[in-house]
Amino acid sequence: MMLARVAENLYWMARNLERAENTARLINSTTYVLLDLPHGATFGWKNLAEIAGLDDLFAKTYPEANEESIMRFLIEDEANPSSIFACVKYARENTRTLREVLPAEMWERINSLYLYVRQNAQAACKSRRERYIILNEIIQQRHAIVGLFSGTMPHDDGYQLIKLGRNIERADMTTRILDLHSAISFPDDSVVREALVERIWMSTLESLSAYQTYRRLVSMHVRSKDGVRFLLQDMRFPRSVSHCLSEMEACFRLMPKSQQLQQLTALLRLKIAQHDTSKLDSVALHEYIDVLQMQLGEIHDALLQNYFHAWQDGVLPSGQAQGEIEFAQQ
Amino acid sequence: MELAKDEYASHTAYDELLDRALKPRPAAQPLFDYLNSLNQDELDKRRQAVDATIMAMGITFTVYSEAGNIDRVWPFDPIPRVMGRKEWESIQAGLKQRLKALNLFINDLYNEQRIIKDGVFPADVLEGSGNFRPQCVGITPRFGVWAHICGTDLVRDKDGTVYVLEDNLRVPSGVSYMLENRQIMKRIFPEVFRTTSILPVDDYPTQLYQMLASLSPREGEQPVIAVLTPGIYNSAYFEHSYLAQQMGAFLVEGSDMMVSADDIVYMKTITGLQRVDVIYRRIDDAFLDPEVFNPDSALGVPGLMRAWRKGNVGIANAPGAGVADDKVVYAFVPQIIKYYLNEEPILANVPSYLCMYEDQREYVLANLDKLVVKPANESGGYGMLIGPRATQEERDQFAELIRANPRNYMAQPTLEISTAPTLVDGKLAPRHLDLRPFVLQSDQLYATTGGLTRVAMRKGSLVVNSSQGGGSKDTWIVEDAA
Repeated sequence: MMLARVAENLYWMARNLERAENTARLINSTTYVLLDLPHGATFGWKNLAEIAGLDDLFAKTYPEANEESIMRFLIEDEANPSSIFACVKYARENTRTLREVLPAEMWERINSLYLYVRQNAQAACKSRRERYIILNEIIQQRHAIVGLFSGTMPHDDGYQLIKLGRNIERADMTTRILDLHSAISFPDDSVVREALVERIWMSTLESLSAYQTYRRLVSMHVRSKDGVRFLLQDMRFPRSVSHCLSEMEACFRLMPKSQQLQQLTALLRLKIAQHDTSKLDSVALHEYIDVLQMQLGEIHDALLQNYFHAWQDGVLPSGQAQGEIEFAQQ
Repeated sequence: MELAKDEYASHTAYDELLDRALKPRPAAQPLFDYLNSLNQDELDKRRQAVDATIMAMGITFTVYSEAGNIDRVWPFDPIPRVMGRKEWESIQAGLKQRLKALNLFINDLYNEQRIIKDGVFPADVLEGSGNFRPQCVGITPRFGVWAHICGTDLVRDKDGTVYVLEDNLRVPSGVSYMLENRQIMKRIFPEVFRTTSILPVDDYPTQLYQMLASLSPREGEQPVIAVLTPGIYNSAYFEHSYLAQQMGAFLVEGSDMMVSADDIVYMKTITGLQRVDVIYRRIDDAFLDPEVFNPDSALGVPGLMRAWRKGNVGIANAPGAGVADDKVVYAFVPQIIKYYLNEEPILANVPSYLCMYEDQREYVLANLDKLVVKPANESGGYGMLIGPRATQEERDQFAELIRANPRNYMAQPTLEISTAPTLVDGKLAPRHLDLRPFVLQSDQLYATTGGLTRVAMRKGSLVVNSSQGGGSKDTWIVEDAA
């Protein structure tokens, strides 16, 4: 038995923490990509905000899209709800209301992550070298938090909601990192181009801690279509969209009144598995990713409606006449 | 361990641990033996360990005016306040007697009002009460008990007499600090618990749970108990969360609950609506139910009063219990005890002057420089005047306030409240303190072993409230030497 508000806070706490880590990963991967760009290839900074789905918000406060403004926007800008600092801050606020349901150390861990980000965000914006170190530290602290969840928290509905939040956010970000490729305008020389594509793929996989796995499971060489298939469909890789969806299915199976959500998730996974990724050029990939993100959004909305918002404004849930309210199972 | 001799030399108040010759009182002897066995270096280390422990445990309170920085650590002094068991047991009996009488009084006020008809309690005091709730008239909650949880503030005057300063019957807070202070002491000074027989305090959450469970309308079933909090910006949010966690209860906000047309309280869970049996509310009456009280309240639950009146939910403390938490009513407590229990009060009341009576008001106005003046319905030390320490201008302003609304003010002589040695700059200096035990009543009466000792950390200060620079100490009730 769990309060809807508490459940919703758990879910958002998990999403916020995952998003902070993923934004850190996205930035690291971008920085890698930049190092690999030869003369003649250009990187559209603005596209980075676009990938994060935040281009309008960015354009409102920043007159120019360059490395510094984008980094400030993605790392330390409190007005951007997806910036690393904002995510960690929200996760901390979520946790504050969850102390009675979380392991006692959790507050301390998340609080110290918050303090670390607050102290180092500015330095991470300014210098590429420090940025890499700081973002990695954030990722590592986040890992310790995930470990604490799985090792000390009862694996009840609350735990499933944390896992759901983590996986839906992760699936979403994997699609976004995949989309990074469309942000690069390649030089015309086809030889340079081919070498470059491979190097960029290596960086992308590296940012997802996937390069080694990819080489072991798929091949030594990274070609576009293999990379896309790996990140979308490979069930063995924990950050692939399909893997995240199957994790979510497993969570839903353990949750009450989840039939519709199980079906929705299974259906999306099936559709992804059946999609012929070899036909996706960069334009088609970009479009396909848009569709995937929308479908993940549908699962998110259905989850919110099913567990958190069904009783809003004191209105009894539909199908339940007043006076014949079903008791929840204890 | 060294005494701040210069401060103690000019010291006139009663000291809890040291007698007039500055020798440890019998109950405090083992503590001093222990403290003397620690060298300065060792003591400094323990002091630092205290701070680190408090940070790590995340024991905090919130100050209203600091929206941006909502967690603050409450200063903790590692030198405990010690009291012998025999003395404590007499105080404990007095606390129970007092709450029992107050509950009979509250129930009488909302029903027959015998005490008024019999001329023991004046009708105009009731009429002027800001905390009397007409919406509660005619109700008798289970066991006839309205104030299930009471935090009674005790002080000791110069001559050693313990006085009740006030009865907090609305939403008294502080019990979590009492429990946490003991945890800190166990972590920092584990050795002393072996050599001194200190009575444990940690049964409070169990007692609180049992008291709340006894209010459940669905007897024989495992009750669903919820702690109702105004939310994270409330100064006592840490405590609400702590008690919910200790009891395995749900921590709810008003918007988490709803009342159905047939007057049952439900909370909104992920699987549906779950009936709530008992609510330990930590929000004031005025915000409990916008249908009945403040219509703008977003903190409460519309329909809660309907459900309570029908007996479908237990609420602790009951709405309207605050009528006896009034500094004018306070003055009548000795008569209230005699009237309902036919017993002499065990605990003393501070002599009080009620400004509503002309002769007493004139006395108060003529002696503002000697008295402490308190508004009837405030808590937390707000809005009071400490005459001897106020400026003439402040006293003049207060005289105006009193003349404008005499029912709202009462005055008491300035007590020289007791002190205990407190660690200040590496020495033990006397600091003023009070004691807030917590008393529970449903079908049974229970009082904590000791309570929360609050200490004014500033030299000479008499204000112990956490919101005004106070700190706290662990409180030891120890076995008396045979």
